[in-house]
Amino acid sequence: MGALPLFFGGTDYIMNILIMILIWAVVASCWDVIMGFAGIFSFGQVSFYVIGAYSSAILSVSLNIPPLFSIILAGIITGIFGVLVGLPCLRLAGPYVALVTFAVHMTLVPFLRGPLGRAIGSGGSQGILTIPPIELLGLSFSSDHLVSFFYLTLFLTIVFTLILVMVIKSYWGTAFLVLKDSENLAASLGISAFKYKLMVFALTSFITGLFGALYAHYVGMLSTKMLSMDVFTILMIMMVIGGIGKYPGVVIGAVITVTVNQLLAPLGMYRPLIMGAIVIILVLFLRDGVIGLIDRLISSQKKVSVDENSLKFVSKEE
Amino acid sequence: MFLEIIDVSVSGLINGSIYSLMAVGLTLVYGVTKAFNFAYGSFYIFGGYFAWILLVQLGITGGYFSVFFAAVPVFFLVGYMLEKILISPLRKYDDWEMKVMMLTLGLALFMDFAFQAVFGPRVKSLPGLLEGTIEIGEMVLFQQDIGIFVLSISCMLGFGWVLNNTRTGMAVQAVAQNPMGAQIVGIPKNSIFAATFAISTIMVGLGGILLCQKNLIDPMGGTNIMIKAWVITAFGGMGSIRGSLYAAFILGMLEAFVGWYFGMIHVQIATLTLLLVTLAIRPQGLMGRE
Repeated sequence: MGALPLFFGGTDYIMNILIMILIWAVVASCWDVIMGFAGIFSFGQVSFYVIGAYSSAILSVSLNIPPLFSIILAGIITGIFGVLVGLPCLRLAGPYVALVTFAVHMTLVPFLRGPLGRAIGSGGSQGILTIPPIELLGLSFSSDHLVSFFYLTLFLTIVFTLILVMVIKSYWGTAFLVLKDSENLAASLGISAFKYKLMVFALTSFITGLFGALYAHYVGMLSTKMLSMDVFTILMIMMVIGGIGKYPGVVIGAVITVTVNQLLAPLGMYRPLIMGAIVIILVLFLRDGVIGLIDRLISSQKKVSVDENSLKFVSKEE
Repeated sequence: MFLEIIDVSVSGLINGSIYSLMAVGLTLVYGVTKAFNFAYGSFYIFGGYFAWILLVQLGITGGYFSVFFAAVPVFFLVGYMLEKILISPLRKYDDWEMKVMMLTLGLALFMDFAFQAVFGPRVKSLPGLLEGTIEIGEMVLFQQDIGIFVLSISCMLGFGWVLNNTRTGMAVQAVAQNPMGAQIVGIPKNSIFAATFAISTIMVGLGGILLCQKNLIDPMGGTNIMIKAWVITAFGGMGSIRGSLYAAFILGMLEAFVGWYFGMIHVQIATLTLLLVTLAIRPQGLMGRE
């Protein structure tokens, strides 16, 4: 993918899609780690993304902090916010977590548009319009300098994807596997569900906030439209296509979803309608996402003489 | 000042009565089927448009009486089909709860934008249930408000009666308490799931018909209502019908007073704060069991 700008360097449209794919791939991966691996029904991923974007924008516009630092600060702020949300809600049962995190999402809109948001510099319903580009080593990274921004995003994407993969493969990841299979066994092994969930929540919200901030400096303007259900559903489609908890799947999901979403853009207000229908159909018919589909193709080729039904029967007998 | 407080309390009571209708429907579905319906608010908006089509477009005779009469079978059918076609095929998966959430969220998006495509993005208003006012001393009550209050409370009582006195209602309770035990004594679990979904859809549809007279019909308004109903359910304790009844009135009052004193924009923030504090102290909600 790194060589693509050499061919597409002149085509802004495709470069834009590539950058958005990279950003969304990381955000969706974080959600996959929360939902699929940690087993937390968090619906607050978009709100963390927006909090990151807004904090970096406010810090750099109102306080004149250089974007390079404001992005890192935005990540830390979002991480702290994630812990604050996680503290009361990670002890709750599944649907409650979904509800509380989604309520946080819904509350952000009136907050950012209202007097409280305007007081901290969110710009009310108009949003923030003049977010400075990132400056580094005399280079400027923004939507006016697509190629340089692409490489910056690619670099950050690789770094944070590696961190996420390390988390999945590490002791943490194993701990989560145990937690998901049997919380009692995990507790007897001394694995605290709450501690691990809070840690993973903090890490993923930090990364999500960082990429939200990156997005803010890329497009240069923000509004509360980012919190519409539309964006939320797009992120969810990536998960459904990729398969929940089938890690690299969600990245494939991001590639497909961002591209299709861009292609559907001329449909205007019918686009979200079609996206909704796509979610329904995919959930009903695509069992484990693309990865599940590939798995089944491979296993159906390998299967020579063992009848799957008899295997199921045997394992039930045990 | 005193009169204003009375006024605000009355509007809180009316909000509370309708919220209770919707929250009880949601609690019922969660308590029985364990499915998390994100499209719930969209059915509320559907109720509003249903009444609008019958009353404004078709000018049906009999006014709201005919609307209610028509709404019950229509919403029953919609809810029943929804469960049979979309939700029950997912039950065979291990992570079906997550899948149901995602599917209903997609359905909500689809319905909201379908409403917008069919009826246009502008809000619509319904004619009032009753015209005129009642004056008690210096206090002025709208007959419409009283009508809404009485109707939603009687709907609640009606559903309570159905749950406690009919065979279907008792079967629903049995499935909620112990799905396997219910199956052993021959209760068709899958039909009960669908029936519960249908009953809750009727409840939220009637809530939409009633509340949309006061608030306008907004094609995108479903999400807010859904969040409100969920907050009430979580606050009261998931699956506890009595809990959500209390919670609905508490939140109706809170909303009326915060909206009056601080402005409507703070209502959602106040609601969320109350929910977070409650859940931090009592994770199972007001009346929920562990």
